[in-house]
Amino acid sequence: MVPDFSSSQRGYQEGSHLSGGPPDGAYPENTPAPDGVDFNNFILEIEPEPASSDSASVQTKPESNPNLQVQFKSEGGRLLLILPPAPEKSRNPVYWEELRRQLKERISGGERFLQPHTPVHLIARDRLLDSQQVQEIDSLLSDAQLPLKRIYASRRQTAVAAATAGYSVEQQTTLGHLGQGQEASRQAMDEPLYLQTTLRSGVEIRHRGTVIVLGDANPGSSIVAEGDIFIWGHLRGVVHAGAGGNTQCRIMALHMQPTQLRIADKVARSPDDPPAQYQPEVAYIGPDGIRIALATEFALADLTTQESP
Amino acid sequence: MSRIIVMTSGKGGVGKTTCTANLGMALAKAGQRVAVVDADFGLRNLDLLLGLENRIVYTALDVLAGECRLDQALVKDKRQPNLALLPAAQNRSKESIKPEQMKRLIKALTKVYNFILIDSPAGIEMGFRNSIAAAREAIIVTTPEISAVRDADRVIGLLEANDIKAVRLVINRLRPAMVAAEQMMSVKDVQGILSIPLLGVIPDDEQVIVSTNKGEPLVLEEKLSKAGIAFTNVSQRLQGEKVPLMDLSIQQESFFTRLKRLFGM
Repeated sequence: MVPDFSSSQRGYQEGSHLSGGPPDGAYPENTPAPDGVDFNNFILEIEPEPASSDSASVQTKPESNPNLQVQFKSEGGRLLLILPPAPEKSRNPVYWEELRRQLKERISGGERFLQPHTPVHLIARDRLLDSQQVQEIDSLLSDAQLPLKRIYASRRQTAVAAATAGYSVEQQTTLGHLGQGQEASRQAMDEPLYLQTTLRSGVEIRHRGTVIVLGDANPGSSIVAEGDIFIWGHLRGVVHAGAGGNTQCRIMALHMQPTQLRIADKVARSPDDPPAQYQPEVAYIGPDGIRIALATEFALADLTTQESP
Repeated sequence: MSRIIVMTSGKGGVGKTTCTANLGMALAKAGQRVAVVDADFGLRNLDLLLGLENRIVYTALDVLAGECRLDQALVKDKRQPNLALLPAAQNRSKESIKPEQMKRLIKALTKVYNFILIDSPAGIEMGFRNSIAAAREAIIVTTPEISAVRDADRVIGLLEANDIKAVRLVINRLRPAMVAAEQMMSVKDVQGILSIPLLGVIPDDEQVIVSTNKGEPLVLEEKLSKAGIAFTNVSQRLQGEKVPLMDLSIQQESFFTRLKRLFGM
C-alpha cells in the first residue's frame, strides 16, 4: 500500500539549496548596476583578508569541523568535559565569555542527568586558560556537585596555570583517544544531547548528533545537529538537522512553527499564513524537498515504507 | 559613486532601525538600488521590520568566515526587488567583527548598490565603531527628548572625530500638540543644540507599531500615513530633491478642532 498523506502535508515553501544562496531568486528587472554589473545575476565577493604578518596565525589551521561547542561525554564512570578548540583556529570561534555561557547552559539544561559526585575530567585541548578561568569552570561544576578531578591540556601555559591553581594536570601533545582528532568529520556521531531548557534568542546549539529539547526553541535561537532534532515544545527558531549532509534526518516538534527548517542542504520556511491549529509534526526530505506531516500519520507511513522491498 | 550612510543615535529605542527600514524601502521604491546592512550583531532587528527573518540563510559573519559569497548572504526583498538586506548574526557579540572587516563587506556592496544604509546598534562601543568604519555620511536619529539629544550630540562629535562630516538629522516621534503646549522640545530646540542640517521630522504615529509587528515598512502602504509621508520625504531629500517640511502643526490643529467639535466644545 502506498500511503497517501498529501492531505496531511502542510505546504511548506521550499527554498533553494543551501549552496544556492538565500530563498527568492533573481531580480525581475534588468537594470545595469553602478559600474555595469548585471543586476539580475551578479556575484559579489569580499576581498580576502590582508595577509597578517603575525607568524602565529600562519601556523594555525582552521578546525575541520565547525560544529564544536562545550560538550559532556561520559566515559568509564567519569564525565569528560570537552572544550571547543582554541578560538584562533576555528571558523566558529568560541571565546571565553561564550564558553562560560555554554557550560552554564549545558549544566542547567541537563541537570537531571548529571549524577552528583561524578568525577569530571576537563579536556582543555589547545585552549589557553588562565588559573582564574580554570577555577571558574570548577566552581560552575561544583554548583552541580561535580568534582573537577583532572585537567588535560595540550598547551603548556594552560597546564601550568591549572597546576598553579592546584589541580592535577596532564599535559598531552596528542589528543588521539579522546575523540577530538583532526578527522572529526569522519567520526561516528556523538550520543544525543538532551536539554531541558528554553532556547532563547541568540542561543545556538551545535552538536555532532541528535538534539532533544524538552522546552521551547524561541525565534532567534538556532540548533545545528548532525542527527535528528526533536523539540518537545514550541519550535519557533531556525533548526538544521543532518547538518553533515544526512538527508534521512528529521525534525520533530509538538508545535511546528519554525522561522526556517533545514535538513542536509535543503531549506524551507514557514508558509506566510500559519495554520489555525498545531499538532505534533515531522519534517523530512520528500521527493520534492522538505515536507511536513502529522506525527501520527508519519509513523504509519514510515512503517509501510520499511516493509516494502 | 555609491553613498554609504550610517544611521545612528547613541541612545537606544529612538527609531534607528525603523528609519533604516523605511528609508531603505522608500529609496528602493524610487528606483535606487539599496542594500541595508544590519550592524547590530547579537540583537538584530532589521530583518524583523522588513519581514525577512525567515529568509535568512547566511549572515555577514558567514561571508567573513568564507562559508559563502556575499551575494548568497544578501536577502532580496520579496516586495521591492531593489532592496537587499545583509543580515547580522544573532548568536554572536558585537566583538565578533572588526571595523576592517566591515569595510571589506561594504566595499564589495558598493560594486552593485547605489545606496548602502548601515543600521548601527545603540551605544558608542565596538558595534558603533564597526558601523561607522566604512560610512561616508551619517544620519542622526533622535527623539525630542533631552536624553536622546544629549546622546546624539556626543555621537555627532564622535563622527566628526572619525572624519564623517556629512551628518544630517532626523527627528523622530515628534508630537506637535505637546510641542504647542511647550511640553516637548520643538524642532528648533533640537536643532539649536545639535546644529546640523535637518533631513526630516517624523511625527509620532501608532501605525509604526503595527507596521513593525507586521514586518511591512510604512512607506509600502497604499494610503500613506503621516509618518509614511515623512519617511518618503526624507528619502527624496536624501536624493537631492527639495521637498518642503511637512506642516505638522496645522494638520494636528485641525485634528484637534475636529475633536473639539466632536465633543461639542
